[in-house]
Amino acid sequence: MTAAAVRPSAGGARLSALARVPAFWVVAALLLAGAIRMAQLAGRLAGTYPIATAAAVVLFGLLTVPFWLVVAELDFLEREPIELLVLAFAWGGLVATSVSIPASTALEDLVAKLGSPHLAADWGAALAAPSVEETAKTLGVVAIVLVARAQVNSVLDGVVYGAMVGLGFQIVEDIVFAVGAVALAGQGDQIQPVIATFLLRGFLSGVWSHTLFGALVGAGIGYLVVRRDRRPAHRLGAALLAFLGAWASHVLWNSPLLGDGLGNGALALLGVLLLKGLPPLALVLVLVRRAHDREADYYVERLNKVCDPELITEGELEALRSGAKRAAARRYAGERAGRAGRRAVRRLQSAQARLAVELSQAAAPAATYDDVREHRKLLRELGHPEAIAGPRSWRHTASTIVTTVVAIAVLWVALSALGGA
Amino acid sequence: MARITRRELMSLLGAFGVVATLGGLAFGLPAIDRSLPDTRPVRADEPYVIGAGVTVVPPTGATLDVTVTRPGGSTGTALFRLGSVQYQIAVRPFDGDLRAAGERLRHRITATSGYQVTGPQLRVATAGGLDGLQGGYSAPGRSGRYVVFVADGRTIEVTISGADLDLGRSLPQIEASTRTLQTDGRDR
Repeated sequence: MTAAAVRPSAGGARLSALARVPAFWVVAALLLAGAIRMAQLAGRLAGTYPIATAAAVVLFGLLTVPFWLVVAELDFLEREPIELLVLAFAWGGLVATSVSIPASTALEDLVAKLGSPHLAADWGAALAAPSVEETAKTLGVVAIVLVARAQVNSVLDGVVYGAMVGLGFQIVEDIVFAVGAVALAGQGDQIQPVIATFLLRGFLSGVWSHTLFGALVGAGIGYLVVRRDRRPAHRLGAALLAFLGAWASHVLWNSPLLGDGLGNGALALLGVLLLKGLPPLALVLVLVRRAHDREADYYVERLNKVCDPELITEGELEALRSGAKRAAARRYAGERAGRAGRRAVRRLQSAQARLAVELSQAAAPAATYDDVREHRKLLRELGHPEAIAGPRSWRHTASTIVTTVVAIAVLWVALSALGGA
Repeated sequence: MARITRRELMSLLGAFGVVATLGGLAFGLPAIDRSLPDTRPVRADEPYVIGAGVTVVPPTGATLDVTVTRPGGSTGTALFRLGSVQYQIAVRPFDGDLRAAGERLRHRITATSGYQVTGPQLRVATAGGLDGLQGGYSAPGRSGRYVVFVADGRTIEVTISGADLDLGRSLPQIEASTRTLQTDGRDR
């Protein structure tokens, strides 16, 4: 069952390999068209509000970094090629956005024309934006499948590509909204509206936004492509259900439900954010966990057959199974052997993951075995021979508590600054 | 010349399917939207609710542009059309005074390339006693008038624009309509 959930690819996805796929050139043309369209829009915004546009690009550009790292880290064992991650991000930021701008406006107008301006004011954004944007983003994951089907070899891969498409869309949309807020404020080229938009859309709404919806859709496409042991109707149904889930989450987020909040104050605003954002976030986290565990089981099984403690020990196999345990192993190494130990464990885990992937494709090259042994040697020299998770330390517990308190404080300040308190 | 495999052909067809869907979204939806009329008649004998507790009696013969009109609880926009003349009213939360509101609206008008404000601002008032500031602006091929009011924590911005001749003909009716602007008196 696990083997059916993971289908290792035989080759990479270098640009030269992608260029040999005819569909890639169609996708490249779409990216070029999207880039031209968005460059025209950016030129107009930057021409009128140069400082605000630059501030928005810098702020949301910085916000991209942690999101990118988290999404790319989701599939630690079988990392997606950087070329395809960039392609997914570019699709979201260039193609999906440039298509969504005219299409969402048109659909919202149709709601007003066929219904009423009142209906459009209340439900226009909730009906138009999810229908258009989720479709345009889904096509981004479909495009990845068309140009590099072999690189979508687990449900988790679909999640990663979908999340990257969503992230690209989210960042570019946020920049456009931030400069739009500057225009609406009518105070000239000021950055205060950009900062307010950053707090609201980047910080408070960022976690349960397009990245999340994209991940959900991606899981469906991943299932459709990978689970060839299931009937086509079943796979298609799962993909449609995932799309519907993303669409419904987006509708709920944009809907006027709870629009008047749960009262006044930061707590009430936080309550609304949680009520609208937490269900899809929880759903995606459960999905990611399941997909990750299935993939991890598959690759750990490959490593288990190696039966060489120089390459991987029983304890390391257990640590490699879960993201939390991998992180715990790095922390433990950091406590025992400092930063060098932490770095060495990370490299050993990466080498072991690479070995697992190569073993699943065919016989792994000798260089990969040598690489793992090299990292083992370094760890041994550092006096920490095994990359296993240590006992939970008080420092880690204290650091978790402090981080949580700081996060709540920052959230509170952001909510208060936006008029919640 | 290299032959295209069945798999490549299928992926190429799939890519064209993607292009067709995107085309449907980007061009098809706007085309359907354009095929339906933007405006619908509006009664000139009763107040129209713009949003945020603000009402206005529309000018006789005006139509309502439903693509721009968006009533709401804390904000609202209504666009009336009289031939080529556009008469737009926007209500938004605002915590400044009338002078600041006037300044903000002038900023927004001049932020559009080719738009310039003309002449000084004059004091105006509605029949219900709302005080406002009125000014003029010019745009390529069009002239405009703006009026701004501040009441109960919100700003009411009126912008009127059209070709000189049409604007001159419609202005008396529009000014009469503007004088009927009313708020519900509740703080927002």
